[in-house]
Amino acid sequence: MSRVHFVTREIGSLAKPSWRAKAFAGRPLGEADRAEAERWGRRLEVEGHEQLLELLSVPQLGEAELPAIDDWAARYALRLLERAGLDVVYDGEQRRTEMYDHVAQHSRGFEPRGSVRAFDNKYYAKAAVVESPSIDAPYDIEEFRFVAGTTDRIVKVPLTGAYTMVDWSYDEHYAGARRLGASAEQRYEARQRFVADVAEQVILPNARGLVEAGAAWIQIDEPAAATKPHEVPLVVEGFNASVRGVDAKKSMHICFSDYRALWPAVLELEDCFELQLEFANRDSRALGTHDEDRPGYAETLRLFRDHGYPNVGLGVLDIHSDFVEPPELVRDRLLYAADVLGDPERIQVNPDCGLRTRSWDVVYEKLASMVEGVRLAEAVLERAQAGREPA
Amino acid sequence: MRVFVPGVYPRSEALVQATRDLDRGRTTEEAVGEQLEQDFQALVAAEEDAGLDLLSDGMLGWQDLFRPLAEAAEGLDARPLTRLLDTNTFYRGVLVEGEPRLRTPLEAPRLPAGRWLATLPSPLAFSRAAQGMASAQALAANVLAPQIEAYAAAGCALVVFSDPFLATERGVPELAAALAELPAVVPLALQLPFGDASPVLAEVAELPVSAVGVDFYATALDSLPDGFPKEVIAGVVDSRSSALEDPNEILAFALELAGRVAGGVSLAPNGDLQFVPEPIARRKIAVLGAARTALGAGA
Repeated sequence: MSRVHFVTREIGSLAKPSWRAKAFAGRPLGEADRAEAERWGRRLEVEGHEQLLELLSVPQLGEAELPAIDDWAARYALRLLERAGLDVVYDGEQRRTEMYDHVAQHSRGFEPRGSVRAFDNKYYAKAAVVESPSIDAPYDIEEFRFVAGTTDRIVKVPLTGAYTMVDWSYDEHYAGARRLGASAEQRYEARQRFVADVAEQVILPNARGLVEAGAAWIQIDEPAAATKPHEVPLVVEGFNASVRGVDAKKSMHICFSDYRALWPAVLELEDCFELQLEFANRDSRALGTHDEDRPGYAETLRLFRDHGYPNVGLGVLDIHSDFVEPPELVRDRLLYAADVLGDPERIQVNPDCGLRTRSWDVVYEKLASMVEGVRLAEAVLERAQAGREPA
Repeated sequence: MRVFVPGVYPRSEALVQATRDLDRGRTTEEAVGEQLEQDFQALVAAEEDAGLDLLSDGMLGWQDLFRPLAEAAEGLDARPLTRLLDTNTFYRGVLVEGEPRLRTPLEAPRLPAGRWLATLPSPLAFSRAAQGMASAQALAANVLAPQIEAYAAAGCALVVFSDPFLATERGVPELAAALAELPAVVPLALQLPFGDASPVLAEVAELPVSAVGVDFYATALDSLPDGFPKEVIAGVVDSRSSALEDPNEILAFALELAGRVAGGVSLAPNGDLQFVPEPIARRKIAVLGAARTALGAGA
């Protein structure tokens, strides 16, 4: 009997601890911040965390202390993910401001323009492309080397995708001077050139540098992928140009979109073994493994089944809620997916998206429950394989 | 040819920071209110400087097109985050928990009577934000109608209904039936932001509204039926681009458009200006004003 094993992963971001956020903002730390560092240092058994506590006891942290603070934040995030039981980790993007801003800041050709509302009182910083973008050198190497040297788990490096960078940017370069009355073809062609340049001149050199440094898995994050269905071919072109010739495992993460727009274009993704999608956000919280129990999964999983490619990174945790999914709920979501696809080996397991809007307490509980739920599903499937009881 | 700026206007960086600080417990509601007032005054000043024909309060206190009305109505709530069209901005979808009915109308902006416009969701857009769980007619009759009465009593000169979904999801007959529930106390306009309006232009020409807003960064001029009977609110400033438009290009386009429509032309952005940062939005208002000035100089 072959053992059923679902690989568990995170997707990307974690909230930054208050001591890290305040240190980088130049704000004084309070006792509560130091207490948090101690609490999590103990809970996660972060080796040597007493050194961090000593560092945080300095009355006023300066620029010289920031690199060490950054390293500690990354170390704490890694231990959080490891202690929760994940097989595949990164550092919760502790060193990055935000997925779009991180790339724009490290590239030539982008200029900041100001804040735009995301929702409620949440805003994001938006830049304009003013010339063909490029980078002087790969910019995530040191971050990766720290992660690789600090964990014994599999490392997956998240990179913001070319299409999302284009879609979330203002265009003051490619669209040309005359835009009023421009045809749809002219607008598409301008965006195609923009995507190609970001892919070839920003993402690809960074990905190559990471692989040369030892990275074995690159995850391209494309939250904007399905927002304009007629532009999904540009998403595919961008992915392929971003990782062409890169000798590593490659996957793509997409979320909060209408996934029907992705097929059949995603069949042209070159060497992308998996799409990691959000499902739990739109699913019921009831237990069960029938279609009516899993409204968030049914339609999209059939797309994976019917087209046969690629594999699925199954989102089983809702990242916009403090609700801690019980292990049984995770189990049933996973069993349902295995049943629809007919092949558990096509499935790996993760939260819907990055968890940075949740507190670490909630994150730990959710991830630990996810891992427990995965073990329950594996046990059910193994028994089914052995013929002792139906799945 | 009138010029005005309906919809949600972007908050200044100071107001953005103030609302962030409020969420994190670092400031007070009063302080945010003071900054909100400053932003409002700055917007009105920018509109006056540009010579706009109608003033807008920029809906600076609105989180999105639906939320304040949903919260002011019995039977409605706003919760699930929903992407607005293909943008990276989200609204909270409306939940229907009972018969929707406006409790108390939203306060009208402090603007001179007869010189201001209001923006509201179209009844059909409101219904779609609620996943159809409340009908457009019921929302028109019991939520939008009393709000319009209140705005009209406070001197509103134009109500612009924003409908981001009509061009793709259709439903003009349903919208027409809902509009019939509204009081005839103030002129009504329908704006179709951010998208190709050509699939519905012939139908919307029959609606009981005095003007129709069209995004001419997505809609070909040729798709406008010859002799279009309604006033066209031409979306000639791109609210999703940081690049500043050329007032002369706008003027030339507006004159060409005017030759094709029977109901006249007004100039406006193609959607809410909240999709650009405030300093850029302010410059875009100035561009509209410059186009208007050039039109007057050439008349």
